[in-house]
Amino acid sequence: MTVLPDLLAGLEFSTLPQQLVNGILLGAIYALIALGYTMVYGVLKLINFAHGEVFMLGAYTALFTSWSFGFTQAGSRQDSSPGILIAMLIVSMTVCGFVGVLIERFAYRPMRSQPRIASLITAIGISLLLQYGGQLFLPSSPPPSISDKVNPFKGNIEIPLKPADSALLAQAEQLKAKVTSTKAAYDEQLKSEKDSFNLSPVGKELRTASQDAERDYRNAIDKANKDALVITLPQGQVIMLVTTVVLMIILTWLVMKTTAGRAMRAASLDFDAASLMGINVNTVIAFTFFIGSALAGAGAMMNASFLGGTKIDTFFGMLPGVKAFVAAVLGGIGNIPGAVLGGILMGLAETMVIWAGYGNYKDAIAFIVLIVVLLVKPGGLLGSNKVEKV
Amino acid sequence: MNIQFSWKHGLIALAVAAAIGCNGGDSTATTPTVENKGTEATPAAAGRKAPTAEGNKVEGDVIKVGIVGSLTGDQKPWGEDSVEGAKMAVEELNAAGGINGKKVELITGDSTSKAEGAKTAAEKLISDGVIGIIGEVASGHTIQIAKSAFDKGVPVVAIGATKTDLTQEGTHVSRVCYIDDFQGPVMAKFAYEELGLRKVALMTDNKQPYSQYLSKTFGDKFKALGGTIVKEAFYESGQTQFSGQITELKAETPDGLFLSGYFTEVGPIAQQVRQAGLKDVKLMGGDGWDSPQLLTSGGDAILGSFFCNHYNNKEDRPAVKTFLDAYKKGHAGKEPGTTMAALGYDATKLMLEALKKAKSLDSKSLIEAINETENFAGVSGTITLKGFNGNPPKRALVVEVRPQSEGFQVFRKAYEADEIK
Repeated sequence: MTVLPDLLAGLEFSTLPQQLVNGILLGAIYALIALGYTMVYGVLKLINFAHGEVFMLGAYTALFTSWSFGFTQAGSRQDSSPGILIAMLIVSMTVCGFVGVLIERFAYRPMRSQPRIASLITAIGISLLLQYGGQLFLPSSPPPSISDKVNPFKGNIEIPLKPADSALLAQAEQLKAKVTSTKAAYDEQLKSEKDSFNLSPVGKELRTASQDAERDYRNAIDKANKDALVITLPQGQVIMLVTTVVLMIILTWLVMKTTAGRAMRAASLDFDAASLMGINVNTVIAFTFFIGSALAGAGAMMNASFLGGTKIDTFFGMLPGVKAFVAAVLGGIGNIPGAVLGGILMGLAETMVIWAGYGNYKDAIAFIVLIVVLLVKPGGLLGSNKVEKV
Repeated sequence: MNIQFSWKHGLIALAVAAAIGCNGGDSTATTPTVENKGTEATPAAAGRKAPTAEGNKVEGDVIKVGIVGSLTGDQKPWGEDSVEGAKMAVEELNAAGGINGKKVELITGDSTSKAEGAKTAAEKLISDGVIGIIGEVASGHTIQIAKSAFDKGVPVVAIGATKTDLTQEGTHVSRVCYIDDFQGPVMAKFAYEELGLRKVALMTDNKQPYSQYLSKTFGDKFKALGGTIVKEAFYESGQTQFSGQITELKAETPDGLFLSGYFTEVGPIAQQVRQAGLKDVKLMGGDGWDSPQLLTSGGDAILGSFFCNHYNNKEDRPAVKTFLDAYKKGHAGKEPGTTMAALGYDATKLMLEALKKAKSLDSKSLIEAINETENFAGVSGTITLKGFNGNPPKRALVVEVRPQSEGFQVFRKAYEADEIK
């Protein structure tokens, strides 16, 4: 019983709310990719290992679209607008959707009548083909990144949960006058110095005074904020989350309310019976690939543009792909709400590990969670526990 | 059945991910014992083994010299610049008549920005009969080259590999750059004395031995000066989301952040640090930041940050001017984007100068001659290897990151080798 307090002693509970938010933001992207895995599996019983590469191509599409709008490496264009971001999103989704359909048409469809292992190996083959073949025609060395100017939403939203100590804050503000005066004196001295990093003794003294005053002020502010609790949400990431939720609502509507969705559900329930009932299964499968891949494209576009500076190479989709796959299995592969749940859980698990001070095991946790879930509930959290005949 | 299949393939994918994820320059192949030596070895530590193999000899009228560089992959900016610098040195020598009437031929090998690639490239060069190898920039790559070269008795002059224990691989390895035992403390001194920082947090790339050791040397010196290292957070090359780590660092209210990794991750980290609301925190790093790519990946967030570098295009030493004029002539008036052109030039020239003084034209004599180098006038400063076990005492420059229009890296302060410790 004494172990628990010891474990808890090292934890910083003030960062917990922020870390939970970070985890959900991260998990939303995993969920978006996991949806593609789970939808394809639901209909075809195939793990589409090339899905991560579709994600990668989505990032490249977003990059090229941003270039065509003038946001090149040289950084010629400075102004952006939500319209440009929406255009990038739509182009990425469309291109990825068609890439998914093409992969299905030329790689998986010829294999459909073969044993399932053949399709799986084809999937791995396509994945490697795109990773290494992509290097021939995609710019990857040095890896480019989408310009930070694309994202006009740079600020952040602060949600105060607990205010700062106002008495201490007022005290801190009194120190501000000294900061301004010492800074002014130093700036005045700088005019007569020729190099701000090789100062005369007088300059050094004034600089030290200015730095000391600023440090005192900052320490006072930090002290006042010590017990305050603020959740900081970068605007870009909030937009990512909102877009993800909107896309998921559209997906639910598509699957649950439309004829195409009903056909998809029918095919996933019983493939042969659906085709006997007059459902064109080829169309349904192509549709499934289109939707799943478009979601990956959306995730890739947002990942590459809102998390500014992220380098894009042909292996861009590999780690997110593996993690999203785990998320899909975790939630119960073939189950759409399960993929979302699995994604969010994965994101939370990762940030919680960092929060607990074991950041080194961040990537390992995904697989530990998977092993535990598979041991306890082999079908995944929301999956059916049906035993499959081997 | 399905789950089992998917599992196996998940593992395959993971294994591939692990193998490919190492593209930054780390080597998973280095044994733990070699890794551990780094923490104890001092620059002057003696006891370097001499390779026993015979090495290559010059046959015919051409002297073959090899260079390994990252011509593809993440570190292409460094690889390209170092090879260009080496070519210049060779061309200058050949124009001046070569060595004993023999011309020098430079053979390039591509490390593909990976440790395994560096090893393969080095082995290929050795079997092609090169008398010595120049390269690499990343420490993890260079260690592999050094190991291969040791078995064959071929000398290696590293260009930008700063990891301290590298030259412990044997007497055949030396370098033209400073070591991490120097650049970490330089940045610590700069942060404490010039920027007036007292509470610094570290962010370390756990996949790069370079980053791990640099964080350590920075932290040790910063603490010795009286500052506090409030927290160290870890990430891995290839990661794109850093919000978890940044939140943990933010809770400690640091006034500075030392990012010891390579430019590929430093840019996104800088952007996310600013987005998380840490507007005033000073960002600092080592020579791993040295690429104009940093401006694209870091955007506005990285401007006004400081890092440690080997030399600067704007220095007013005559050697720098001569080098830049010659470089511009061969490159349509463009200055090199990174310092690796100058270091590549220095490394090549140092080897060729040693070859002139060598008793005979073979690897063994060349190793001896390189280790006898004294007061070699390089572009990046004067280099003496004799008595320093392959680690020349060098000066380091602290530069500020500015927009491309101001020249990317603006020289701020120089530290001489004897100013630290």
